[in-house]
Amino acid sequence: MKGVEVSDLSAWFGINQALLDVNVSAQPEAVTAIIGPSGCGKSTLVRCMNRMHEEVRGARVRGKVLFNGQDIYAPDVDPVEVRRRIGMVFQKANPFPTMSIMDNAVAGLKLVGGFSRQELQERGEQALLAAGLWDEVKDRQHDPGGRLSGGQQQRLCIARALAVEPEVLLMDEPASALDPASTLRIEELIDDLKKEYTVIIVTHNMQQAARVADWTLFLLSGHVVEYGPTERIFTNPSDKRTEDYVTGRFG
Amino acid sequence: MTTELRSRFHQELEALEAEVIELGLLAAESVRLAVDALVRRDAGQIQRVIEGDDEIDRLYMDVERRILDLLATQNPVASDLRLISALMHINLHLERVGDQAVNISKMALATADLPPDESILVRLQEMGDIVVRMMRTAIDAFSRRDLELCQKLPVMDDPVDDLNRGMYRQVVQLAGDPARLEWGIRMNVVARQLERVGDNAVDIGEQVAFLLTGQFREFTDASHPDA
Repeated sequence: MKGVEVSDLSAWFGINQALLDVNVSAQPEAVTAIIGPSGCGKSTLVRCMNRMHEEVRGARVRGKVLFNGQDIYAPDVDPVEVRRRIGMVFQKANPFPTMSIMDNAVAGLKLVGGFSRQELQERGEQALLAAGLWDEVKDRQHDPGGRLSGGQQQRLCIARALAVEPEVLLMDEPASALDPASTLRIEELIDDLKKEYTVIIVTHNMQQAARVADWTLFLLSGHVVEYGPTERIFTNPSDKRTEDYVTGRFG
Repeated sequence: MTTELRSRFHQELEALEAEVIELGLLAAESVRLAVDALVRRDAGQIQRVIEGDDEIDRLYMDVERRILDLLATQNPVASDLRLISALMHINLHLERVGDQAVNISKMALATADLPPDESILVRLQEMGDIVVRMMRTAIDAFSRRDLELCQKLPVMDDPVDDLNRGMYRQVVQLAGDPARLEWGIRMNVVARQLERVGDNAVDIGEQVAFLLTGQFREFTDASHPDA
Protein backbone atom coordinates (compact mmCIF):
# COMPACT_ATOMS: atom_id res chain seq x y z
CA MET A 1 0.00 0.00 0.00
CA LYS A 2 0.96 3.66 -0.24
CA GLY A 3 1.67 5.63 2.88
CA VAL A 4 3.72 4.36 5.78
CA GLU A 5 3.08 1.03 7.43
CA VAL A 6 4.87 0.27 10.66
CA SER A 7 4.87 -3.36 11.75
CA ASP A 8 6.10 -4.87 15.01
CA LEU A 9 8.48 -1.98 15.47
CA SER A 10 10.57 -1.82 18.64
CA ALA A 11 13.23 0.79 19.35
CA TRP A 12 15.87 1.21 22.01
CA PHE A 13 18.21 3.84 23.37
CA GLY A 14 20.98 1.63 24.73
CA ILE A 15 19.21 -0.75 27.11
CA ASN A 16 16.10 1.42 27.42
CA GLN A 17 13.27 0.30 25.20
CA ALA A 18 11.32 3.27 23.81
CA LEU A 19 8.88 1.45 21.51
CA LEU A 20 7.35 -2.00 21.96
CA ASP A 21 5.96 -3.81 18.93
CA VAL A 22 4.24 -0.82 17.42
CA ASN A 23 1.85 -1.44 14.54
CA VAL A 24 0.29 1.43 12.64
CA SER A 25 -0.63 2.34 9.06
CA ALA A 26 -0.48 6.03 8.20
CA GLN A 27 -2.89 6.54 5.33
CA PRO A 28 -1.75 8.47 2.26
CA GLU A 29 -3.29 11.88 1.64
CA ALA A 30 -4.38 12.08 5.25
CA VAL A 31 -3.03 13.48 8.48
CA THR A 32 -2.17 11.08 11.28
CA ALA A 33 -1.56 12.59 14.71
CA ILE A 34 0.49 10.85 17.38
CA ILE A 35 -0.46 11.89 20.90
CA GLY A 36 0.67 10.75 24.31
CA PRO A 37 2.39 12.00 27.46
CA SER A 38 6.03 13.10 27.47
CA GLY A 39 8.42 10.21 27.08
CA CYS A 40 5.83 7.87 25.57
CA GLY A 41 7.85 7.39 22.39
CA LYS A 42 6.08 9.78 19.99
CA SER A 43 9.24 11.42 18.65
CA THR A 44 11.08 8.12 18.56
CA LEU A 45 8.29 6.63 16.46
CA VAL A 46 8.41 9.37 13.81
CA ARG A 47 12.22 9.33 13.88
CA CYS A 48 12.08 5.61 13.11
CA MET A 49 9.88 6.39 10.11
CA ASN A 50 12.73 8.07 8.25
CA ARG A 51 15.72 6.35 9.85
CA MET A 52 16.70 9.31 11.98
CA HIS A 53 16.54 7.25 15.17
CA GLU A 54 19.66 5.27 14.26
CA GLU A 55 21.67 8.51 14.17
CA VAL A 56 21.59 8.57 17.98
CA ARG A 57 24.52 6.74 19.63
CA GLY A 58 23.47 3.35 20.95
CA ALA A 59 20.05 3.54 19.31
CA ARG A 60 18.58 0.37 17.85
CA VAL A 61 15.50 -0.58 15.84
CA ARG A 62 13.78 -3.91 15.24
CA GLY A 63 10.77 -4.49 13.03
CA LYS A 64 9.60 -3.08 9.72
CA VAL A 65 8.64 0.30 8.32
CA LEU A 66 7.11 -0.17 4.90
CA PHE A 67 7.05 2.86 2.64
CA ASN A 68 5.07 2.29 -0.53
CA GLY A 69 5.37 -1.39 0.27
CA GLN A 70 9.16 -1.41 0.64
CA ASP A 71 10.93 -1.88 3.98
CA ILE A 72 13.07 1.20 4.60
CA TYR A 73 15.28 -0.88 6.91
CA ALA A 74 16.16 -3.41 4.20
CA PRO A 75 19.96 -3.74 3.82
CA ASP A 76 20.15 -2.26 0.32
CA VAL A 77 18.20 0.89 1.19
CA ASP A 78 20.09 4.20 1.38
CA PRO A 79 18.97 6.12 4.50
CA VAL A 80 19.70 9.46 2.79
CA GLU A 81 17.27 8.59 0.01
CA VAL A 82 14.72 7.53 2.64
CA ARG A 83 15.01 10.93 4.33
CA ARG A 84 14.58 12.73 1.02
CA ARG A 85 11.33 10.93 0.34
CA ILE A 86 10.16 11.05 3.94
CA GLY A 87 10.86 14.61 5.05
CA MET A 88 10.86 15.97 8.55
CA VAL A 89 10.02 19.25 10.27
CA PHE A 90 11.12 19.79 13.87
CA GLN A 91 9.66 21.53 16.90
CA LYS A 92 12.12 24.39 16.80
CA ALA A 93 12.41 26.11 13.45
CA ASN A 94 15.99 25.59 12.35
CA PRO A 95 16.68 27.63 9.22
CA PHE A 96 20.29 28.47 8.44
CA PRO A 97 20.19 31.96 9.99
CA THR A 98 22.65 33.75 7.73
CA MET A 99 21.66 31.96 4.54
CA SER A 100 19.08 33.81 2.41
CA ILE A 101 15.43 32.80 2.48
CA MET A 102 15.66 31.37 -1.03
CA ASP A 103 18.91 29.52 -0.30
CA ASN A 104 17.30 28.06 2.80
CA ALA A 105 14.35 26.82 0.76
CA VAL A 106 16.61 25.04 -1.74
CA ALA A 107 19.31 23.91 0.73
CA GLY A 108 18.21 20.27 0.42
CA LEU A 109 18.18 20.44 -3.37
CA LYS A 110 21.72 21.83 -3.40
CA LEU A 111 22.84 18.87 -1.32
CA VAL A 112 21.27 16.49 -3.83
CA GLY A 113 23.01 18.50 -6.57
CA GLY A 114 22.56 18.62 -10.34
CA PHE A 115 20.15 21.56 -10.57
CA SER A 116 20.74 24.70 -12.64
CA ARG A 117 20.30 28.14 -11.03
CA GLN A 118 17.00 28.54 -12.81
CA GLU A 119 15.73 25.14 -11.70
CA LEU A 120 16.71 25.94 -8.13
CA GLN A 121 14.85 29.28 -8.30
CA GLU A 122 11.73 27.64 -9.76
CA ARG A 123 11.62 24.80 -7.28
CA GLY A 124 12.39 27.19 -4.43
CA GLU A 125 9.43 29.36 -5.42
CA GLN A 126 7.14 26.34 -5.67
CA ALA A 127 8.22 25.13 -2.25
CA LEU A 128 7.73 28.56 -0.67
CA LEU A 129 4.34 28.76 -2.35
CA ALA A 130 3.36 25.30 -1.07
CA ALA A 131 4.48 26.28 2.42
CA GLY A 132 2.26 29.38 2.27
CA LEU A 133 5.23 31.72 2.61
CA TRP A 134 5.82 32.99 -0.93
CA ASP A 135 3.55 36.03 -0.79
CA GLU A 136 5.24 37.23 2.40
CA VAL A 137 8.83 36.82 1.19
CA LYS A 138 8.83 37.19 -2.60
CA ASP A 139 10.14 40.76 -2.36
CA ARG A 140 12.88 39.89 0.07
CA GLN A 141 13.94 36.38 -0.83
CA HIS A 142 17.59 37.34 -0.50
CA ASP A 143 17.23 38.51 3.11
CA PRO A 144 18.70 36.17 5.74
CA GLY A 145 16.32 33.44 6.92
CA GLY A 146 17.04 34.46 10.51
CA ARG A 147 15.15 37.74 10.01
CA LEU A 148 11.80 36.04 9.60
CA SER A 149 9.36 35.69 12.50
CA GLY A 150 9.14 32.37 14.34
CA GLY A 151 6.07 31.28 12.41
CA GLN A 152 7.62 32.27 9.09
CA GLN A 153 10.85 30.45 9.98
CA GLN A 154 8.84 27.30 10.64
CA ARG A 155 7.09 27.63 7.27
CA LEU A 156 10.51 28.18 5.71
CA CYS A 157 11.61 24.86 7.19
CA ILE A 158 8.47 23.25 5.78
CA ALA A 159 9.36 24.77 2.37
CA ARG A 160 12.88 23.35 2.69
CA ALA A 161 11.40 19.92 3.42
CA LEU A 162 8.97 20.20 0.51
CA ALA A 163 11.56 21.40 -2.03
CA VAL A 164 13.11 17.95 -2.32
CA GLU A 165 9.66 16.62 -3.25
CA PRO A 166 9.07 14.11 -0.49
CA GLU A 167 6.01 11.90 -0.38
CA VAL A 168 5.67 11.86 3.38
CA LEU A 169 6.07 14.75 5.80
CA LEU A 170 6.86 13.96 9.43
CA MET A 171 6.24 16.87 11.79
CA ASP A 172 7.47 16.74 15.35
CA GLU A 173 5.55 19.35 17.34
CA PRO A 174 5.76 21.84 14.46
CA ALA A 175 3.72 24.55 16.18
CA SER A 176 4.49 24.15 19.85
CA ALA A 177 6.86 27.15 19.90
CA LEU A 178 4.52 29.43 17.93
CA ASP A 179 1.88 31.99 18.89
CA PRO A 180 -1.81 31.18 18.20
CA ALA A 181 -1.99 33.01 14.85
CA SER A 182 1.17 31.31 13.52
CA THR A 183 -0.11 28.00 14.88
CA LEU A 184 -3.35 28.47 12.96
CA ARG A 185 -1.38 29.17 9.76
CA ILE A 186 0.64 25.99 10.22
CA GLU A 187 -2.54 24.01 10.88
CA GLU A 188 -4.16 25.40 7.74
CA LEU A 189 -1.02 24.53 5.85
CA ILE A 190 -1.11 20.96 7.17
CA ASP A 191 -4.71 20.67 6.03
CA ASP A 192 -3.62 21.84 2.60
CA LEU A 193 -0.55 19.60 2.42
CA LYS A 194 -2.50 16.43 3.02
CA LYS A 195 -3.98 16.72 -0.47
CA GLU A 196 -0.58 15.71 -1.82
CA TYR A 197 1.38 14.25 1.06
CA THR A 198 1.05 11.71 3.79
CA VAL A 199 1.39 13.84 6.91
CA ILE A 200 2.30 12.44 10.32
CA ILE A 201 2.35 14.91 13.16
CA VAL A 202 3.48 14.54 16.75
CA THR A 203 1.65 16.94 19.02
CA HIS A 204 1.20 17.63 22.70
CA ASN A 205 -1.76 19.80 21.91
CA MET A 206 -4.79 17.59 21.80
CA GLN A 207 -7.02 20.26 20.34
CA GLN A 208 -4.52 20.55 17.54
CA ALA A 209 -4.73 16.80 16.90
CA ALA A 210 -8.52 17.07 16.98
CA ARG A 211 -8.47 19.96 14.49
CA VAL A 212 -5.96 18.72 11.91
CA ALA A 213 -5.80 14.95 12.04
CA ASP A 214 -7.95 12.41 10.23
CA TRP A 215 -6.44 9.59 12.29
CA THR A 216 -5.11 9.68 15.82
CA LEU A 217 -2.72 7.29 17.51
CA PHE A 218 -2.45 7.28 21.30
CA LEU A 219 0.90 6.05 22.51
CA LEU A 220 1.66 5.22 26.15
CA SER A 221 4.99 3.91 27.45
CA GLY A 222 6.00 2.84 23.95
CA HIS A 223 2.77 0.89 23.35
CA VAL A 224 -0.03 1.74 20.95
CA VAL A 225 -3.09 2.02 23.18
CA GLU A 226 -5.54 3.06 20.52
CA TYR A 227 -5.52 4.08 16.88
CA GLY A 228 -8.61 5.25 15.04
CA PRO A 229 -10.51 8.06 13.35
CA THR A 230 -9.80 11.29 15.24
CA GLU A 231 -13.47 12.03 15.77
CA ARG A 232 -13.95 8.74 17.57
CA ILE A 233 -10.83 9.13 19.73
CA PHE A 234 -12.14 12.48 20.97
CA THR A 235 -15.81 11.64 21.38
CA ASN A 236 -15.92 7.98 22.24
CA PRO A 237 -12.54 6.31 22.72
CA SER A 238 -12.69 2.56 23.31
CA ASP A 239 -9.83 2.29 25.79
CA LYS A 240 -10.15 3.64 29.33
CA ARG A 241 -6.52 4.90 29.21
CA THR A 242 -7.24 6.95 26.08
CA GLU A 243 -10.35 8.32 27.77
CA ASP A 244 -8.35 9.30 30.87
CA TYR A 245 -5.59 10.89 28.83
CA VAL A 246 -7.71 12.97 26.45
CA THR A 247 -9.98 14.17 29.25
CA GLY A 248 -6.96 15.26 31.26
CA ARG A 249 -7.35 12.73 34.06
CA PHE A 250 -3.65 11.98 33.77
CA GLY A 251 -0.63 13.12 31.81
CA MET B 1 0.79 19.88 35.48
CA THR B 2 -2.88 20.33 34.55
CA THR B 3 -4.09 18.20 37.41
CA GLU B 4 -5.49 20.84 39.71
CA LEU B 5 -7.28 22.88 37.04
CA ARG B 6 -8.55 19.72 35.41
CA SER B 7 -9.81 18.24 38.67
CA ARG B 8 -11.65 21.50 39.33
CA PHE B 9 -13.26 21.02 35.91
CA HIS B 10 -14.33 17.51 36.83
CA GLN B 11 -15.68 18.75 40.17
CA GLU B 12 -17.71 21.37 38.33
CA LEU B 13 -19.07 18.66 36.03
CA GLU B 14 -20.15 16.64 39.06
CA ALA B 15 -21.75 19.70 40.64
CA LEU B 16 -23.64 20.42 37.40
CA GLU B 17 -24.87 16.85 37.24
CA ALA B 18 -26.14 17.10 40.83
CA GLU B 19 -27.94 20.33 39.97
CA VAL B 20 -29.56 18.82 36.88
CA ILE B 21 -30.74 15.86 38.95
CA GLU B 22 -32.21 18.26 41.50
CA LEU B 23 -33.89 20.15 38.67
CA GLY B 24 -35.26 16.87 37.33
CA LEU B 25 -36.82 15.88 40.63
CA LEU B 26 -38.25 19.38 41.00
CA ALA B 27 -39.78 19.31 37.50
CA ALA B 28 -41.29 15.85 38.11
CA GLU B 29 -42.75 17.04 41.43
CA SER B 30 -44.13 20.11 39.73
CA VAL B 31 -46.05 17.93 37.25
CA ARG B 32 -47.32 15.72 40.08
CA LEU B 33 -48.55 18.73 42.07
CA ALA B 34 -50.14 20.31 38.99
CA VAL B 35 -52.19 17.21 38.17
CA ASP B 36 -53.11 16.69 41.82
CA ALA B 37 -54.23 20.33 42.16
CA LEU B 38 -56.24 20.08 38.94
CA VAL B 39 -58.06 16.94 40.06
CA ARG B 40 -58.72 18.22 43.60
CA ARG B 41 -59.43 21.79 42.40
CA ASP B 42 -56.99 23.20 44.90
CA ALA B 43 -56.49 26.86 43.84
CA GLY B 44 -53.70 27.48 46.36
CA GLN B 45 -51.66 24.54 45.13
CA ILE B 46 -52.21 25.56 41.50
CA GLN B 47 -50.75 28.97 42.33
CA ARG B 48 -47.79 27.40 44.10
CA VAL B 49 -46.95 25.30 41.03
CA ILE B 50 -46.95 28.41 38.82
CA GLU B 51 -44.77 30.32 41.26
CA GLY B 52 -42.49 27.32 41.75
CA ASP B 53 -41.52 27.44 38.10
CA ASP B 54 -39.29 30.45 38.84
CA GLU B 55 -36.95 28.17 40.75
CA ILE B 56 -36.93 25.67 37.86
CA ASP B 57 -36.09 28.48 35.44
CA ARG B 58 -33.36 29.77 37.74
CA LEU B 59 -31.69 26.36 37.92
CA TYR B 60 -32.05 25.94 34.16
CA MET B 61 -30.34 29.28 33.47
CA ASP B 62 -27.63 28.59 36.01
CA VAL B 63 -26.80 25.19 34.47
CA GLU B 64 -26.85 26.65 30.95
CA ARG B 65 -24.46 29.48 31.91
CA ARG B 66 -22.05 27.17 33.70
CA ILE B 67 -22.03 24.71 30.81
CA LEU B 68 -21.16 27.51 28.38
CA ASP B 69 -18.28 28.51 30.69
CA LEU B 70 -16.94 24.95 30.59
CA LEU B 71 -17.28 24.73 26.82
CA ALA B 72 -15.46 28.03 26.42
CA THR B 73 -12.62 27.28 28.79
CA GLN B 74 -12.12 23.53 29.16
CA ASN B 75 -12.23 21.94 25.70
CA PRO B 76 -14.16 18.94 26.96
CA VAL B 77 -13.67 15.71 25.00
CA ALA B 78 -14.69 12.05 25.11
CA SER B 79 -16.97 11.11 28.05
CA ASP B 80 -16.69 14.67 29.43
CA LEU B 81 -17.97 16.00 26.12
CA ARG B 82 -20.79 13.48 26.01
CA LEU B 83 -21.76 14.32 29.60
CA ILE B 84 -21.81 18.04 28.84
CA SER B 85 -23.85 17.50 25.69
CA ALA B 86 -26.28 15.27 27.62
CA LEU B 87 -26.52 17.79 30.46
CA MET B 88 -27.35 20.59 28.03
CA HIS B 89 -30.13 18.61 26.40
CA ILE B 90 -31.52 17.19 29.63
CA ASN B 91 -31.49 20.66 31.17
CA LEU B 92 -33.60 22.00 28.31
CA HIS B 93 -36.04 19.07 28.49
CA LEU B 94 -36.48 19.67 32.22
CA GLU B 95 -37.16 23.35 31.74
CA ARG B 96 -39.87 22.42 29.25
CA VAL B 97 -41.39 19.90 31.67
CA GLY B 98 -41.54 22.73 34.20
CA ASP B 99 -43.41 24.83 31.62
CA GLN B 100 -45.77 21.95 30.91
CA ALA B 101 -46.64 21.80 34.63
CA VAL B 102 -47.36 25.55 34.46
CA ASN B 103 -49.55 25.07 31.36
CA ILE B 104 -51.54 22.38 33.17
CA SER B 105 -51.96 24.72 36.13
CA LYS B 106 -53.17 27.54 33.90
CA MET B 107 -55.76 25.21 32.40
CA ALA B 108 -56.84 24.34 35.93
CA LEU B 109 -57.23 28.04 36.74
CA ALA B 110 -59.17 28.70 33.54
CA THR B 111 -61.64 25.89 34.29
CA ALA B 112 -62.12 26.52 38.01
CA ASP B 113 -65.78 27.51 37.51
CA LEU B 114 -66.67 24.92 34.87
CA PRO B 115 -68.32 21.55 35.58
CA PRO B 116 -65.79 18.67 35.43
CA ASP B 117 -66.22 15.12 34.15
CA GLU B 118 -65.15 12.45 36.59
CA SER B 119 -64.01 9.85 34.03
CA ILE B 120 -61.80 12.38 32.24
CA LEU B 121 -60.24 13.36 35.56
CA VAL B 122 -59.50 9.68 36.24
CA ARG B 123 -57.84 9.44 32.82
CA LEU B 124 -55.72 12.56 33.45
CA GLN B 125 -54.72 11.31 36.89
CA GLU B 126 -53.60 8.04 35.35
CA MET B 127 -51.59 9.83 32.67
CA GLY B 128 -50.07 12.09 35.32
CA ASP B 129 -49.07 9.14 37.50
CA ILE B 130 -47.32 7.43 34.58
CA VAL B 131 -45.44 10.46 33.29
CA VAL B 132 -44.25 11.45 36.78
CA ARG B 133 -42.97 7.89 37.19
CA MET B 134 -41.30 8.18 33.77
CA MET B 135 -39.60 11.43 34.75
CA ARG B 136 -38.28 9.89 37.94
CA THR B 137 -37.14 6.82 36.02
CA ALA B 138 -35.28 8.99 33.48
CA ILE B 139 -33.52 10.94 36.23
CA ASP B 140 -32.76 7.75 38.10
CA ALA B 141 -31.32 6.15 34.93
CA PHE B 142 -29.14 9.23 34.49
CA SER B 143 -27.79 9.31 38.02
CA ARG B 144 -27.18 5.54 38.04
CA ARG B 145 -25.92 5.41 34.42
CA ASP B 146 -28.42 2.61 33.79
CA LEU B 147 -28.88 1.84 30.09
CA GLU B 148 -31.50 -0.86 30.67
CA LEU B 149 -33.62 1.54 32.68
CA CYS B 150 -33.47 4.13 29.85
CA GLN B 151 -34.73 1.56 27.41
CA LYS B 152 -37.85 0.96 29.54
CA LEU B 153 -39.00 4.54 28.96
CA PRO B 154 -40.51 4.12 25.47
CA VAL B 155 -42.47 1.10 26.76
CA MET B 156 -43.73 3.13 29.72
CA ASP B 157 -44.73 5.86 27.25
CA ASP B 158 -47.05 3.66 25.14
CA PRO B 159 -50.06 3.78 27.52
CA VAL B 160 -49.63 7.56 27.82
CA ASP B 161 -49.98 7.93 24.07
CA ASP B 162 -53.04 5.62 24.10
CA LEU B 163 -54.67 7.58 26.93
CA ASN B 164 -53.99 10.85 25.12
CA ARG B 165 -55.52 9.58 21.88
CA GLY B 166 -58.62 8.37 23.74
CA MET B 167 -59.22 11.83 25.21
CA TYR B 168 -60.70 13.20 22.03
CA ARG B 169 -63.58 10.73 21.95
CA GLN B 170 -64.35 11.34 25.60
CA VAL B 171 -64.43 15.10 25.12
CA VAL B 172 -66.72 14.81 22.09
CA GLN B 173 -69.27 13.09 24.31
CA LEU B 174 -69.58 16.32 26.30
CA ALA B 175 -70.83 18.19 23.20
CA GLY B 176 -74.41 18.45 24.52
CA ASP B 177 -73.44 20.81 27.34
CA PRO B 178 -71.44 23.94 26.32
CA ALA B 179 -69.93 24.48 29.79
CA ARG B 180 -68.86 20.85 30.14
CA LEU B 181 -67.57 20.88 26.53
CA GLU B 182 -65.44 23.96 27.23
CA TRP B 183 -64.03 22.22 30.29
CA GLY B 184 -63.35 19.11 28.22
CA ILE B 185 -61.56 21.01 25.45
CA ARG B 186 -59.24 22.56 28.04
CA MET B 187 -58.64 19.12 29.55
CA ASN B 188 -57.67 17.90 26.09
CA VAL B 189 -54.86 20.47 26.26
CA VAL B 190 -53.87 19.11 29.67
CA ALA B 191 -53.69 15.58 28.23
CA ARG B 192 -51.54 16.89 25.41
CA GLN B 193 -49.17 18.53 27.95
CA LEU B 194 -48.90 15.27 29.90
CA GLU B 195 -48.17 13.40 26.71
CA ARG B 196 -45.35 15.89 26.03
CA VAL B 197 -43.95 15.30 29.53
CA GLY B 198 -43.75 11.60 28.66
CA ASP B 199 -41.95 12.44 25.40
CA ASN B 200 -39.47 14.59 27.29
CA ALA B 201 -38.77 11.70 29.66
CA VAL B 202 -38.10 9.41 26.67
CA ASP B 203 -35.79 12.05 25.17
CA ILE B 204 -33.88 12.31 28.44
CA GLY B 205 -33.47 8.54 28.31
CA GLU B 206 -32.03 8.89 24.78
CA GLN B 207 -29.50 11.40 26.06
CA VAL B 208 -28.48 9.06 28.86
CA ALA B 209 -28.09 6.21 26.36
CA PHE B 210 -25.89 8.48 24.23
CA LEU B 211 -23.80 9.36 27.26
CA LEU B 212 -23.29 5.68 28.01
CA THR B 213 -22.77 4.27 24.51
CA GLY B 214 -21.51 7.19 22.42
CA GLN B 215 -24.20 6.26 19.87
CA PHE B 216 -27.09 8.62 19.40
CA ARG B 217 -30.36 7.16 18.22
CA GLU B 218 -33.97 7.97 18.85
CA PHE B 219 -35.83 5.30 20.81
CA THR B 220 -38.95 6.11 18.85
CA ASP B 221 -39.36 8.08 15.67
CA ALA B 222 -42.73 9.77 15.23
CA SER B 223 -42.24 10.15 11.48
CA HIS B 224 -41.41 6.45 11.00
CA PRO B 225 -43.46 4.76 13.72
CA ASP B 226 -42.91 1.23 12.40
CA ALA B 227 -39.19 1.51 11.67
